[in-house]
Amino acid sequence: MKKKVGVYICHCGGNISDYVDVEKVRKAVEKDESVFLAKTTMFACADSNQKEMVEDIKDQNLDGVVVASCSPKLHLLTFRAVAERAGMNKYNYVHANIREQVSWAHSDNKPGATEKAIKIVKAAIAKVRNAESLDPVRVKAIKAVAVIGAGVAGMRAAIELAEAGSEVYLIEREFFVGGRVAQWDDLCITEETGKELITRLYDEVMKHKHVTLFTGAEVVENSGSVGNFNLKVKVTPRHFNLQCNPGELQKAIDVCPVEVPDEFNFNITKRKAIYHNYPSEYPQLPAIDVKNCTRCGACEKVCSAVDFFQKIEYLNLKVGSILLATGFDPYEPKKGEFGYGEIDNVVTFPQFKRIVHYCDDKLMYNGKEVKNIAYIYCVGSRQVDGDNKYCSRYCCTANIHTAITVKKKYKGIHNFHFNRGIRTYGKAEIWYDESSRLGDIYLQSFEHDPPAVEKQGDKTIVKIKDVLTSDRELEVVADLVVLVTGMVPRKENSIGNLLKIPKGRDKFFNEIHMKLRPVETVIDGVTIAGASQGPKNIMESMNSALSAATKSFSLIDSGELALEPTVARVDEQKCKWCGKCDDACSYSAIDKIELDGRTIARVNSAVCKGCGMCLPVCPSNALDLIGLADKDMENMIDALLSNV
Amino acid sequence: MQEPKKILKYDVLVIGGGIAGGESAINLANLGYKVLLVEKELSIGGKMILLSKVFPTLDCAACITTPKVSEIARHPNITIFTSAEVTEITKKDEHQFEAIVLQKPRYVNVADCTGCQLCEQACPVNVTDEYQYGLVGRKAAYIPFSIASPRAAAIDIDNCTLCGACERACPTKCIDFTQTDEEYLVKVKSVVVATGFKLFDPLKIPRYGFDKCKNVITSMQMERELAPTRPFNTILRPGDGKMPDNIAYVLCTGSRDKSVGNPICSQICCMYSIKQAQLLMGALPMADITIYYLHIRAFGKGFNEFYAQAQDMGVEFVKGKVGKISEKENGNLILRYEDIEEGVVKEAEHDMVVLSVGVLPNQGIDEVFDNQKLQLDPFHFVNQSDILASPAKTSIEGVFVAGTASGPMDIPDSILSGGAASAETTSYLRRANQ
Repeated sequence: MKKKVGVYICHCGGNISDYVDVEKVRKAVEKDESVFLAKTTMFACADSNQKEMVEDIKDQNLDGVVVASCSPKLHLLTFRAVAERAGMNKYNYVHANIREQVSWAHSDNKPGATEKAIKIVKAAIAKVRNAESLDPVRVKAIKAVAVIGAGVAGMRAAIELAEAGSEVYLIEREFFVGGRVAQWDDLCITEETGKELITRLYDEVMKHKHVTLFTGAEVVENSGSVGNFNLKVKVTPRHFNLQCNPGELQKAIDVCPVEVPDEFNFNITKRKAIYHNYPSEYPQLPAIDVKNCTRCGACEKVCSAVDFFQKIEYLNLKVGSILLATGFDPYEPKKGEFGYGEIDNVVTFPQFKRIVHYCDDKLMYNGKEVKNIAYIYCVGSRQVDGDNKYCSRYCCTANIHTAITVKKKYKGIHNFHFNRGIRTYGKAEIWYDESSRLGDIYLQSFEHDPPAVEKQGDKTIVKIKDVLTSDRELEVVADLVVLVTGMVPRKENSIGNLLKIPKGRDKFFNEIHMKLRPVETVIDGVTIAGASQGPKNIMESMNSALSAATKSFSLIDSGELALEPTVARVDEQKCKWCGKCDDACSYSAIDKIELDGRTIARVNSAVCKGCGMCLPVCPSNALDLIGLADKDMENMIDALLSNV
Repeated sequence: MQEPKKILKYDVLVIGGGIAGGESAINLANLGYKVLLVEKELSIGGKMILLSKVFPTLDCAACITTPKVSEIARHPNITIFTSAEVTEITKKDEHQFEAIVLQKPRYVNVADCTGCQLCEQACPVNVTDEYQYGLVGRKAAYIPFSIASPRAAAIDIDNCTLCGACERACPTKCIDFTQTDEEYLVKVKSVVVATGFKLFDPLKIPRYGFDKCKNVITSMQMERELAPTRPFNTILRPGDGKMPDNIAYVLCTGSRDKSVGNPICSQICCMYSIKQAQLLMGALPMADITIYYLHIRAFGKGFNEFYAQAQDMGVEFVKGKVGKISEKENGNLILRYEDIEEGVVKEAEHDMVVLSVGVLPNQGIDEVFDNQKLQLDPFHFVNQSDILASPAKTSIEGVFVAGTASGPMDIPDSILSGGAASAETTSYLRRANQ
């Protein structure tokens, strides 16, 4: 039992001490037989206090430490590191949360808060009293990273990882790289087009001998964990051989009798069952859409490179870390939302971008020339009734930039922006200013009173109660209505489900902490980049991709990982293998093994997260958590129930 | 000028010890590179360490910054110079930069200072405290602020009377008036510019009466009043110490305003004002808060929800541009503004006004580079030469930019930008070894 425990009670500036009498807490615990010293501190986490703690541990030979401060989510690791620096085993440190669980929760009852804080600190002391020194579980880290998604974020991350010295598997579900940016022609900020940017990134990806690109590929299984993920990748064939004659290819496309809506152009055009998104698409080899192909064989007759015998292949990849850059989907308006799907000249912003791409000297839609364009903002974002409460961040800027392009490209264009308060943040303000100068009209409403789109005879009319002209009812006759749709999380989220990546309120992948660990997830070894984490423009996606690459790389760089030893352990004598623990485990950390002729459970300590789900289901009480055994819990409960 | 005396060698020079520079430095140090972090202030931690809570999660800024600062300060691969400036950088060749770093005297031997504050108590000189943004005073011998790193005293030599009281009071004899400027020649392979931003000076808009009306403060002053290391322990208006109960925010003070030479949006003011409004509603439950705005730019993850939350809490949002602020005899303020929704000019009385000042570039970093040009953008931020594919790249190969040195940015974006700069620096350094 420990006799020289140091206890530090934090004011947290006032976050704690405004509601908890920290001095009273100190006095209440200093007499405990295990406590050697008890101090209060303004900021326990501040550098000066950390130094003092290190000195105390060394000079006074402390054998255990408790800090009563904020949530362990914030600073457990900080103070474990303090213990380590002072030469103490870090598992002799116990964290007591008297901020989130006490001062913030009971700001209306100061005496009660102080009493609860005392009990929580006493419980922590009860735990530290019998704490054991533990050593981390060491596992080998494979110096390879799987990057999922070959859009701009994924390709950029792959290049960075390869340059840093990692082996990289870049896995793209589609047959072509480039993601959403491939579908964008002009981009904000620079003159570079989406295609040019992708060409540049693709060339770099292909140049790197340490990046292997898989297209038509999907991760279908994962076993293992940080440092040693075993991924099973399903690679769908494109049914074309690499050596083929470009003339024959075009013939094969021409003879294909199947026509389906072209998703690349957001269904405003059609494509064949043999397709590429655009002639210089990467990789520069078409693919056969087997879902829609009728196997008529017409293409095979004109093109020798067509190969229907190619089969689905499965690959096993071993990687140390996984970087998810799976992007976003554009919001798909519901039928009837601002006339979408019902009024023929209502399109979405992504469709509009493709229309502008295909129209050279005149802007045409459905055979008619377009002069008056009504843009309706925040479609699918900042919803009052729907689930998407968030702002999609990029749309105001992207749309205004496109409206300027349209005005400069075609003659006689009138732009009408039906907005909810333009959010051209930062330097993008310049385009808002430019479009206003070019004569664009801005009309604004608030969330609860959106504009309406109506058909009157052969005219499409957009109506609004305009905030900017003292709530006057205004109407615009529009040749084309563009619904400025936001970003939504990918509908197809098999990889997120497979890896159990948590989602935020906005349903995008969630980071651990927006400011402290913005690209890491609670699944160790899995980082997130780009719009998979939330709406972003290209520059912001690149910053997050590069940050995620750095985090993934630094995990595996040394070739070894030190994992938490606080995992489940099996009492081999008590266990009678019933499999209930295996069923309860969400991480597949439990195996069945044979020991001296008996079948028992074994915990894979590299995979176990120490969540404790297996403990209560064990009928023979054969499982325990290292560092948080039943005995520890009982001691803590006793302390909590004691009188102050 | 004398020849530099000492020659130092590192892999990377990081200029600026705020959160972006700090993030870059930690990432690089964790990969084994030796980093010199040069900070012009007395403490690292930049502006963030001085903030109250941060949007949209309302985490306490100190709680997030102090452990990061501590991690930077004790990292074996990071050397920190505070009160130091990089005065010149010459690119000799790829992966060969020579920088001159001027270490200004602190007049305190940091290694021996225990931060006991006895010198502060002994010092007879009172001056305005810049770290509390002028709300209170400090001594000429002082610790910058309680969570500063290093937490050591400094002597403000411009205001010091050389009376010697601090020297006599110091128990460890760490005050040393013989310290002088020291110059170092620093040889590095790469440079990260993380020089941050400065706040708009509201004196440039005399209509807002920042100097004349005592109860008009800046948002950074309000940030200090709300911070855990706050000067008053409650919210007071500076004119007469009264607790305000009707506070107005004037957004876009010095942003989106060509008349003061800053046409762009500062990206953070809407959100920090909404955050302060929420915190004020907690601190002063009876107070009314009104935010005068043009457009609310609540664009980041969780921001729009945070804005909606403020509306639900009862913060009043008025779409309108404030034209003029004048003071009544009792210290209250009359705001003359255009109510855009009603289309009329109105006046409203408040007992305290917060000017939500914008983000401006910290100028001068381009002049430090002597043989190659560090290009700036039209707004005098560091230009990102390949903004779409490599946002941290600048016009000089091997020099990378992190955080608000390249434009207005909130904290999460600054940290990601710091991460990007460290990634690009890593691959540049690896090319040096090939």
